[in-house]
Parts: sequence; C-alpha cells; structure tokens
Amino acid sequence: MPHPLRTTTTGPRMEGVAAEVPRPAGQPVPPAVQTAPPPSPAWRRHAGSAGRHLSRYALLVVLIALWQFTSTVWLPAKDPYLAVLMPAPTSIIAATAELVANGDLFMHLFASLKRELSAFVLSLAAIPLGIAMGWWRPVYVQVNPVIEILRPIPPLAWIPLSILWFGLSDMQNQFIILLGIFFPILVNTVTAVRTVDANLIRASRTLGASEWDVLRTVVFKAALPQIITGIRIGLGVGWMALVAAELVGATTGLGFMINDARSILRTDIIVVGMLTIGVMGLLIDLGIRWLGKRLLPWSPALAK
Amino acid sequence: MGSLSVSGVTKVYGVPGAPGAVTALSNLSFEIANHEFCTILGHSGCGKTTLLNMVAGFERATEGTIAVDGTPVGPPGWERSMMFQDYALFPWLTVRDNVMYGPRMKREPKDEARRQADELITLVGLAGFEKHYPHQLSGGMRQRVALARALVVCPRVLLMDEPFAALDSQTRSFMQDELVRIWRHEPKTVMLVTHSIDEAIKLSDRIIVLSSRPGRLKAQIPVDLPRPRDEDHPVYRALKKQLRDMIHEEMEEG
Repeated sequence: MPHPLRTTTTGPRMEGVAAEVPRPAGQPVPPAVQTAPPPSPAWRRHAGSAGRHLSRYALLVVLIALWQFTSTVWLPAKDPYLAVLMPAPTSIIAATAELVANGDLFMHLFASLKRELSAFVLSLAAIPLGIAMGWWRPVYVQVNPVIEILRPIPPLAWIPLSILWFGLSDMQNQFIILLGIFFPILVNTVTAVRTVDANLIRASRTLGASEWDVLRTVVFKAALPQIITGIRIGLGVGWMALVAAELVGATTGLGFMINDARSILRTDIIVVGMLTIGVMGLLIDLGIRWLGKRLLPWSPALAK
Repeated sequence: MGSLSVSGVTKVYGVPGAPGAVTALSNLSFEIANHEFCTILGHSGCGKTTLLNMVAGFERATEGTIAVDGTPVGPPGWERSMMFQDYALFPWLTVRDNVMYGPRMKREPKDEARRQADELITLVGLAGFEKHYPHQLSGGMRQRVALARALVVCPRVLLMDEPFAALDSQTRSFMQDELVRIWRHEPKTVMLVTHSIDEAIKLSDRIIVLSSRPGRLKAQIPVDLPRPRDEDHPVYRALKKQLRDMIHEEMEEG
C-alpha cells in the first residue's frame, strides 16, 4: 500500500494550521527545497528592528514628556494647586515605590484579586446552567425570560440594593462582581451548546454514547472554546464592576485605595491605583488566553 | 452477523394527506445480506439520506419496518455505526482517542480499547499518526480515521453517507480502492449512499437505484466484476451507461 503521505496531501485543511502534512515521530525532516535569501548584515537587522520598536512608541514617549513638562514646569508656574491635580510621571513612580515599600499596594491588590476569584468560582455555576439551557428546550423556554430581564441591568445598579441586603461587606462586593462575570459566561455557554456541530452529536450516538455521554464527551468539549471566551469577557466585566463596588462598599481593595487617596488629595496614589487596575485587567485577560491556548490546542478559535 | 431488511417503508414529513406534507420515500423494500456491500444510488432529493437516517435511528419511518438480523431498529447505537461526508471527527481528540471513543462508550477497559484502536489505525494505514489531531491531517487521512472509528465497534451494519464526496478526485479514487482493501480484510455489511455512479460500481456487490421523490425502488443491479475493478472493463462501461441513463431519466421526471 502506498504511504499515506504521498497520496493524501491534497485534502482540505483548516486554515493556517499545519501547512505541511505532519510526519510521524522519528521520521527525518526532508531538507527545505527553497534556499533562504542571503542574510543581511547583522548590524542592519538589529538597527532596523530596534528602530521599528522605538518608532512604535514615539507618540507615547512624546505624550509622557509633555505630561512631565506640564506637571513640573507649566502648571506650577500658573498655580501650584493645579500641579497637585496633575501628578507628574516622576511622582507617580515615587508613589509606586512608596506603596510597594510599605506593602499597601499588594495588600489592596490581593484583596481585589481575592474578591474577583471567589466571585469567579461562584459564577462557574453559569456553565451547567448554560449547558442545560442550550440542550433542553423546556429549560431554555422557562429560564431565558428571567435572564433577559436581569441581564441588561448593569451590575452597578445593584449596588444600593446589595448594600441593604449584605451590608458593607465582602459578600456585597462579591455579589456585584458575580453579576458582572455570570452573564457573559452564561450567554456564551448557551450559544456554544446550541451551535455544536450536529454531526458530532450524531457520530457519538452511532458509536453507542448515551445522552449523558453525549453531553459529557461531546457537547461540553465542543462548547469549551466559547465558554472560555465567555470567561474572558466575564472576568473583564467583573473586574470593572469590582473596582466600582469597592469605591462605595469596602475598606480594602484597589477601588477603596484610590477613593481613600482622594480624601487626602494624594492624586499620585490615585493614578498608581488606576494604572494597577488597568495592568491587572490586561494580565488576567492575557492569562486566560494563554491558558485557553495551552489547554485546548485543537481549537482554531483560541489559537488567534 | 448483520443482515438489514427494509420492508414497506414510507416516510412522510408533515401530517400524511394534509396540505404541505412531503412524501420522501414510498413503500420501499429491499434486503442486504450479511457481509454484502450495497449502494443506494440516486440524485439529490430522492430520499436516500432520509433512508440512511432511518436505518441509523435518527428518524422513524411513517410506515413499514427496518430490521437488523430480524430485530426492528431502535435509537442510534454502535451496531449501526456511521461514516459522514464531513468526517465528524472530534477535533479535541487525537487520532487514537477518536478511534477509542466507541470502545470506551461500550465500557471496554482502557487498555483493551487502546489495543483495538491501534489495530484499526494500522489497518487503515495511519500507524505513526496516533497522536495527531484531526486538524493536522489531510481530508483523506481524516476519512481513514472516521473509517477506523466506525469499524472498531464491530457494527452489524456499517452506514456511509457520501463518505468521499468532500475529497478531491484523485484522493477519492484512492480512498475507494482503500475501502475495498479494508472491507475485504474486515468483511462487513455495508449500506453506502451516494450520487456517484463510479463510486457505486467500483465498490458494491449490488446497486439499488432510487427514483425521484417520492423515492421508490427503481432497480436492483448486481455488480459481478472481480475486485479491484477496472474502469475500462467493457462490463463496467456498459453498467455505467445503463445507470447514467436511469439517473438521467429520473432527473428529467423529477
């Protein structure tokens, strides 16, 4: 029988993946047919890429320089009070060093992360609920109207009522974050389950899978990439809701830290807090993406 | 064992007799013997996919019975495993895990499932690719995985829904030869549905031609040529012309 490599290289393939037919392990890699273009001198390549990188951040650098000038030269000349409202980049760096040294920054950051994490764990309940809604029509018909009424209410609109329910407590904060994380996970799970390739379900049934097997081994697995997308969106929304909730109802956390700094006019601490919130939000997002790629290497949706 | 009997099967979509009701199949009867390779040939809309869905257990016949070894068919199960045009491989499972899926659903122990899977993977010529994911394979290789996955559960009847339609013509022709090789090695009762006359002649012991909607049995033609079959053989060419005329006639009527 001819080797499969030689005979079946023309079939359709998923875009972007495996430009070549994979080889069984242990088989030598054939030499590349095309020769690479002659290398340019090393100094030119280095200078070129460094130049490109620098030019990408040119505007940012100019803006920061302008900001520094405004805060330390221009504003103090006009009115020293205005200078306080616009802390210079250098004083922000100093404030960061101060907050790191006395431990405040990490204390508040961990308080916020802890709230986000515990709300996230609770909101994982959206996954089984979403699967049930996507799989069993009667569940969808009953539950969907409730969801459609609750979903458009911004988590922040729940703050007054939640303070009356839970008091100014961690529980209240987590409730607000939970509302932010829950719905994106739910909506994405429902859509994912409803759009699972029908032939995958049929294939599993003709291979002897029971209804429970189909849910466990096909529907859940096929829905996972989009569930992870839902988690990414949810954690982002939750992070925003978290900071807002801490502004009013907490004695720790980044939201509390920046609001507390306002009362003592430490604008530098406010900006440090804001930047930390932004960077942390970005890191959470990148972390989930990285995890998704690692855990589900087969998914073209997560490979991007 | 694995004989399939279809007797007096009618399928109506909608309420029979009511306006808007569509009769897909009408009073269809035929048998497929144990280890016979039988092809259902017809142009699109003749109800051949409906027939396949009913044999698999995805749909129920409005009238008549479908039985495997004398037992009327119930919900889908491994005794009627199926190959799909779009492969329907589980993209999150490796080649080996895809093939192991059926045995695992039959609650075979993991080692045994793995042994069975590896045997079939070797049979379809994919040894060395056990750890690849479907998206890393070409179309022909994916369909080999699908064949191994459908065979490993030892179905009484193997169902094929235009399994090679998505492949380019060279790969398709090669895969047809491969299917014949594998089927002779591992004889199974096969019901294949296709609109390709060449595929039908190349593969089958017998060809069942369906008429236009509603699908009725138009002809049953045994193919008495030695395998592998030569397209230039006079009998092959005569058969091809006969079938082409038949299908043409049906298309003009439909």
